[in-house]
Amino acid sequence: MNIVVLVKQVPDTWSDRKLTDADHTLDRGSADAVLDEINERAVEEALKLKEAGDGEVTVVCMGPERATDAIRKALSMGVDKAVHLSDEALHGSCAVQTARALAKVIGTLGEVDLVVAGNEATDGTVGAVPAMIAEVLGMPELTHARKLTVEGSTVSIERETDDAITLLQAELPAVVSVNEKINEPRYPSFKGIMAAKKKPVTTMAIGDAGIAASEVGLANATSTVTASRPRPPREAGQVVTDEGDGAAKLVEYLVGQKLI
Amino acid sequence: MDFRETTEHRALRETVAAIAGRFGGGYYAERAQARQPCTELWQALGQGGYIGINIPEEYGGGGAGLLELTMVCEEVSTQGCPLLLLLVSSAISGELLARYGTDEQRKEWLPRLATGQSKVVFAITEPDAGSNTHRLSTTATRDGADYLLRGSKHYISGVDEAEAILVVTRTGTDETTGAARLSLFVVPTDAPGLVRTPLPVDVMLPERQFVLHFDDVRVGPGALVGIEGEGFAQVFHGLNPERITGAALCVGVARYALARAAEYATTREVWGVPVGSHQGVSHPLAQAKIETELAALMTTRAAWSHDAGLPAGEASNMAKYAAAEAALAAVDAAIQTHGGNGLATEYGLVPLWGLARLLRIAPVNREMILNYVAQHSLGLPRSY
Repeated sequence: MNIVVLVKQVPDTWSDRKLTDADHTLDRGSADAVLDEINERAVEEALKLKEAGDGEVTVVCMGPERATDAIRKALSMGVDKAVHLSDEALHGSCAVQTARALAKVIGTLGEVDLVVAGNEATDGTVGAVPAMIAEVLGMPELTHARKLTVEGSTVSIERETDDAITLLQAELPAVVSVNEKINEPRYPSFKGIMAAKKKPVTTMAIGDAGIAASEVGLANATSTVTASRPRPPREAGQVVTDEGDGAAKLVEYLVGQKLI
Repeated sequence: MDFRETTEHRALRETVAAIAGRFGGGYYAERAQARQPCTELWQALGQGGYIGINIPEEYGGGGAGLLELTMVCEEVSTQGCPLLLLLVSSAISGELLARYGTDEQRKEWLPRLATGQSKVVFAITEPDAGSNTHRLSTTATRDGADYLLRGSKHYISGVDEAEAILVVTRTGTDETTGAARLSLFVVPTDAPGLVRTPLPVDVMLPERQFVLHFDDVRVGPGALVGIEGEGFAQVFHGLNPERITGAALCVGVARYALARAAEYATTREVWGVPVGSHQGVSHPLAQAKIETELAALMTTRAAWSHDAGLPAGEASNMAKYAAAEAALAAVDAAIQTHGGNGLATEYGLVPLWGLARLLRIAPVNREMILNYVAQHSLGLPRSY
């Protein structure tokens, strides 16, 4: 099975993340860059499928040069090879452009059986790119998976949303996006870290993937950020006075926050 | 000269920190208070190949060097989990068995040391021979093809967790100098005639200390590690790694304590400002930070020298001295920063103070290092 995992380097979720004043794109210098945690789960799921049968796992990453660190992390977990789409022209691309660009890269990889992605990145939190890629590639989309199985040429998932758990099935090739409950990603082993150095990483400019400059970039994006301001400081917590109904009020609050 | 770490070294540090961070200082403090080993953490690190990172690849290890083991020690410790037996099982036993062990001994022990499945601890200290190894009185006497071990050892760490002990014995005496001719043996912890008695100490550690009595413990010729009578030189090859990893553990303890102190000092307010605004609080922390990072540099240099096959004695001693002093200063400043909370079980700082205090004494004490530096680095007269 030929599995592609989409990975993204994001500013550390726990750091102070900013947009630049100049064009309201991500200020990559303002925070440590890490492999998005949800991608580690996508990688883990792909590696499990590979280990259960046979196959090859390729990570595809779109991002600036320093995204190689995120790619290397995936390789050190056990991924076989990587393709890195890196081009100045991609700066400021919107979700639609990103999906189209990634679909073109996937198109260069031959017969792909399964594309696995995280359901949304912690930076943009758009959460639409996996579905858009499926649309562009003409593959079925199975999103927000908390469980994934492949039997023969059939992929099944348990799709989890706020409203319901839905059981979905499709024929391969397909695109699956996973949520944070799907697994606990492995830590790279020391051997994995050392092996990552020797694994092939293909760097592509947009031309190599057949992407025209007019299809990507801030100037051609379908959406524009016109202004941004920092999140207001955290407000003081809500104090619940227990008048015999403290527990009920706490539960009500947690339900309101979708925590339970 | 390039001080930047390689991508692989950074990844190694991040991964070890992530694994140990899942356990954290609270886990270590609980185990230390209960005198229970940190088995789960040891195994998690073993599975990833981090316990046996310095063991040759052909025996299931990582094939890296002491530099990488030093990074492992620093990172686990920086997460609040200073695993003392890394100094013993990975550093001394790993290095000595890999270098001097027979092929059978390597095959028997190294793969299981590498995965963290098994530990081999080290027994050198005796009631009448502490820093002066020449006075060792535990003997190994030939009996046919076998050897009989007789004598006792003190302050042997982690015997309860180990499958075997690397024992330093006297197999003869140099007729001209009167110094002991030493030999190393690998002895199973359940060998008949070997009795272990806990040696209670008042520092809180997950690892226990023991007194060992060898009452004619019989071992076969396959238990001899290296060459009979060459033990002194061989042991020296394991002592630098022990000092260097000991220094690394101290560096990590200091970094952990300083991070906790900095966190506390920026959030704890007494007169309307964080206590860290007061120089009485911040300066001791800053001073300890400087001492810690200086010690870390020397530790790295010592590990690098060892791996490069260069003389590493001076750097190892200096690193161990500086790191132990820095760790003690850091933990002490961290406790003071926390006020009364510094002594509370919940904050888990006192067990770290105990470990740092221990590491001023072991594996080589501060005074012996000063003697060494006075004599060897400065050319002053020998003092003992």
